[in-house]
Parts: sequence; structure tokens; C-alpha cells
Amino acid sequence: MERLSICINTQTPLVQFLTPPDGRPLDSSVRDLAQLREGVDYRFSPGGVTRMVYPLVRRLLKDGILSEAHWVALNPRGPPSIRLGGLWLHNVSIDDERMAAYGKVKEVIWSRVHELDRPSEHSDLFWTEAFAEYAYYNRMTSERMRSLDDRHDFDAFYIHDFQQMPAGHMLATLKPKIFRWHIPFDATAIPDHWRSILKTYLDSYDVIVVSAQRYLDSLQALAPKGRILRMYPYVDPADYAHPDRATAVARTERFGLGTGDRIALLVGRMDPIKGQDLAIRAFAPLAAEFPRTKLVLVGNGSFSGSAAGLGLSKSARWRAQLEAEVAELGLAGRVVFTGHVDQGELDALYERCRFSILASVKEGFGLVAVESWLHGRPVIVTERAGIAEIVEDGVHALLFDPDDPDALGRQMRRLWDDPGGKLRARLVRNGRILAEQCSIDAAEVAERSMLAEVTEQ
Amino acid sequence: MTDLGPVWSALWSELPVGVILVATVLVAWLASVLVGRLLRQSYPPVARAARQAAVGVISVIGATLILQQLGVNPDVILVILALLGATVLIALWGPLGNYAARYFSDIYLPFKVGDTITLRGFSGQVIGINAMVTVLLTEDDHLVSVPNDVLLKEVVVNTSPQAWKEVTIPLSIGNNVDLALFESDLLKSISKLKTRLDPRFPPVLTTRSRTAQATELVLTLMLRRPEDRDAITQEANKRLGELLQGSRTTRRPAG
Repeated sequence: MERLSICINTQTPLVQFLTPPDGRPLDSSVRDLAQLREGVDYRFSPGGVTRMVYPLVRRLLKDGILSEAHWVALNPRGPPSIRLGGLWLHNVSIDDERMAAYGKVKEVIWSRVHELDRPSEHSDLFWTEAFAEYAYYNRMTSERMRSLDDRHDFDAFYIHDFQQMPAGHMLATLKPKIFRWHIPFDATAIPDHWRSILKTYLDSYDVIVVSAQRYLDSLQALAPKGRILRMYPYVDPADYAHPDRATAVARTERFGLGTGDRIALLVGRMDPIKGQDLAIRAFAPLAAEFPRTKLVLVGNGSFSGSAAGLGLSKSARWRAQLEAEVAELGLAGRVVFTGHVDQGELDALYERCRFSILASVKEGFGLVAVESWLHGRPVIVTERAGIAEIVEDGVHALLFDPDDPDALGRQMRRLWDDPGGKLRARLVRNGRILAEQCSIDAAEVAERSMLAEVTEQ
Repeated sequence: MTDLGPVWSALWSELPVGVILVATVLVAWLASVLVGRLLRQSYPPVARAARQAAVGVISVIGATLILQQLGVNPDVILVILALLGATVLIALWGPLGNYAARYFSDIYLPFKVGDTITLRGFSGQVIGINAMVTVLLTEDDHLVSVPNDVLLKEVVVNTSPQAWKEVTIPLSIGNNVDLALFESDLLKSISKLKTRLDPRFPPVLTTRSRTAQATELVLTLMLRRPEDRDAITQEANKRLGELLQGSRTTRRPAG
């Protein structure tokens, strides 16, 4: 296979630009990220799609599979283009009014796909003025990709995220287009009025990648023209450090965690879909029974919800609601909200926790379970996560049904009441074997094979 | 009444060729704008063709005047032009018919690439429509090419499912137009026709191709009732024309 030049597109940018303490605007002449300071001028987007795509791109560049890579994303605060090693980041910007309309449409689609509202509630979504602005953003993105293609003559386009789906349709090219659908897919959740346009968009792609077999099976119902592939999401184990106990205690001091605290960890953005409320309610009856236990909730808003991103206020509202519930249940001091943490702090929290929880009401895959195994910690996994299809209850993780109000509490009890830690050790041992399927090594093989297929067919 | 003939002749004989050339360009531009304005509610390709024709006619007149000024007898020029025109017309009668048919096929022929049609006993999927012929792929993998003028003269049956619903309107957008803004405005405008369109099929703008000068697109609408076909086509074209004439579609800096 010859070295490839590809164009990647995500909504969330790899790098979010911050407003420095002195308030001065970013120097628009900056062309290389190395000229800026991490944590002051910019930060890497935590979690999500970028956490997965970046290690892969880095690896493919390092291994010479890619000759160059360009990454187009929505980034209102970013310079037009900036370099990060062998990768070029290109930022698309739209005005606040359009951004709000785009965000609204995106949230509606997201809520419906996650079945958080009634199918009939937004049946006319694609006829609204807000959708016209959503199309505007996607056309801006596709035009950006096209102009880059004029200059760089890409071999393929790799478009991620459901909200970017129209961009591939708008991009008139004979070159291969790959679309990765990261969230759950259940054809029965798609309103009748959305099906034709969804199919029109999906038909534009040569390959559609989903994260679980059940999504692949369901997507067949729409009979897209391209091939559908199932590929598990992945992380690079090299990105995870294992600090010693003393370092871990020091790095987590600011969260008020005592050295003898027994911690249950939930990592996920502040969003009702992540099920933080389920974890709090499950923890409430256990708090008295297991003293010195704490539930630590890590995360703030997504790019959409953060001040550095789209500025949608969903995450702040959800956190306030959770804090009120914690107070009401008398759990003040026993439930800790950390907000955003850096990678070092996250590693330290994993090292300090007894187990972690993936409590989502619905989850495309659930890479936090893999992260937990990589840190040698067992995990309780919702049955509604894509990863649940490869997890055997009691073997790799403990599964629970989020509709059963007592189920999560029962599994938490098993891990806190585990004399000798035999159950925890077994879950971690077997979980690590599963984690190999979700590693960058496995992903590189699968992605190389797919890229070779679409570019050489 | 004063006789201006000699004065005019004197002025004309002194008029520099450069001035005639500049005047020709100016008048051609003015004619293009005027024709565009007059036909702004027409089908955009027709309006474009009319503008080009106006520019062509004025250019020929200008060229004739320039040659006359250079001493060539205008009668000779006109005879040569007429003979050339007649020769071209006779030589290209067939191809021109096909080309004209192709030109109008977007308006009058109710099928597009991807549809399955039947005519003269042939049935197949339309896989290409070029300036001369429309190409069908039959079920037994044969290619059938149908001259475009035949399509205008013969009965064509489109057997694609729900073919009656679909209205496709091709359009060409100059690359000086902000495509994202145009699309956004177009979707908002077409959404006003929602009650006449099938709510399950929102309007879709698809990019066909792009050249250095323009982007070729097609707007697809799905009707709620077959009898609205002409009215919707006309109304959508009117809205397209208005948007294309509008001032909001200014070029954005390339990213």
C-alpha cells in the first residue's frame, strides 16, 4: 500500500483554544502549536472521539502509512490552520447565532438517537430554519475539505460523528469517503420523517463504521449503498501512566480525598445520558453501610457544553441538579465532583479507586471500561453500552440493567464487599484480555486494512 | 430639419476602433444584466442562455462595425456570416437537435440518472445523460444509447418507484457565490412550500460537480400531490432565481 494522504473531519477539535488569564486574544499569525503553551493557550479535548482518533493518526504517521494528515473541525476560537507535528489542524468558524441553531439541531438528533424523547417530537426538524443553519455549518466544513483537497489531493476522507454526516454528502468527489458513526444506532428509534434524508446522507459514503455488532445489524435496515463495518473503538495504552500511591495521593489532594477513602469512580461528561444520577442513588443506601467510601464523579461539559467550545449550558444545569440531589440524600462530602481533570490527575484517580462505573443510560461503546482495565481496576458496566456485547457478567465486568433501580447498588456492594479482592482480581485479569481488542494495535490493523480496501479497490 | 447625415458620416469615419470595442463590451454587459433581470423568475439555465445569446449578438454586431471601420465592406461581412451560420447549421443539424434536447431535458423529461425508464421496447437504468445521448443499462448488462432528440419525441415511461413525486432542479452556482450561505437561504425559502411537499422527504441540495468557474448542483423536492408538479417546479425556480440575483451571496474568504 502506498503512503496515503487523508483528510479527517470531526466536530470536536483535537485542540481547544483558551482565553489566557491576561485576556489577550490568540495571535492569529501562530502556525505551529509548539509556539503556544498547553494549559494556558490551549488544551487537548478530553475523552470522546478525539481521544480515539488522535492516537491512531499519530501512529499511522509514525509507521509511514500516512504521508500527511489534515484534520478539519469546528473551532470558533482557533486560528484558520495550525500545525501539530505531522498533522495539520484546520478550524471552521461560524457566528454565534448559527452556532446556537446548529447546536440545537445536533442536540435534537442526539437525543432522539439516544431515545431520550418521543419520536414524534421533532418530526419536522429537517424543515426548520435551524436545520438550514446546521446545513450551513456542514457546507462550510465540506467546502473547507474541498479547498484543502484542491491543494493536497487527498487519497480519502474520514468523517467522524453523526453531526458531520451531511458534510460527506455535500463533498462532491470521486475519492473514497468513510464515515464513522460513534453513537448507538437503533433503526427503530429513527422517526419516519428522518429516514429518507438520513439514507441520502449515508448513501454518500463508501464505508460506514459502527462500534458494535448490534448497530451494524440495525443499520442494515436502512440499506445504505456503502459497506458497513464493525470496529471497536480503541485507546493507546501508552497514554496511561501508573503513578505510585504517594504520587496518586498528592495529585488528588485538591479533591478532598483522604488516604483511607475507598473510592468508586465514574468518568464521563456532565450529561444525563451518563447516568451520574443512577450512581448517586445506588450509592445512597451503601454510604452508611460502607464507611469511608466515596463516589467520585469526574468530568464537566463536552466540547458542546464547555465555555471553550459551543457554550451550550446543558452540563452546568445537570451538575446543579445532581448537587441538589446529593444534598437531599445527605451525601455531602461523600460524593465528589471534580470537574475537568488533566490526564495526570485522571491516572491518579484511577490508581486510587477500588472500581469504576460506566452507568450510562445509553452509550455508543464505553471506552472508560477499557481505561479502567488498563489501570488494573474492575468496572461495572451498563447493559446499554456497546461494549456490553463483548462483556460476560462476572467474568470481565459486572453488568447491570439501568432500568432496575437496585441493580447498580447490588454490583457496587459486591465490589466493596469482596474479601481478599478475588472477584476484583478476576475481573481485571479477564478485562485486560478484552482491552487488547480495543487497543491501538488492534485498531491499526483494522484501520489499515479498511484504508487499503477503499483506496485500492 | 437639419440634415445630420454628413456630420454623422464624418464623425463615424473618425471614430477609433478602440472606442467601438469598448462600447461593444459595455453594451454587451448592459444587455446581459437587463436580460438577466427580465428573466430572473425563469428557469436559471434558460436565463443564462438568453444572457449569453444577447452578449453573442452584440459581439457580432460590434465585430462587424469594427471590420467595417477597418475598410471591409459590410455586405461582404454579412454574406460570409450568413454562409458560415448556414453551413454550421446543416453540418450539425442532428447533434444540435440532440444538444438542444439535452439542454431542455432537465425541464421537460421526468427522469434522471439512476431512474429506470422504458422506451421503444428498451428498459433500463439511466446511467448517463450527455450532450448527445442518454445511456441505459439493461437488466442483462447491455448498454443502450438513446439520442436525446428521441426522448423528446417518443413516449418515455419512468418505472422508478414514486417517480412522480420527485422534482429535480439543476442549478449552476458561480464560484464567486458563498455556497454555504446560498444553501442555507435556499433551504429556508423552499421550506415555505412545506405544505405542498411530502414531509418525509425534506429538500436536499446535492453537488454534482465543480469546475474552476462554477458548482453544478441539483435540488431535489418530493411532491405531496402529482398535480402540483408544474406549480412547484415554477415556484422553486422563481425562488432560486431570486436567490441567485440576491446580494446576500457574496464570496467568503477561502479557508
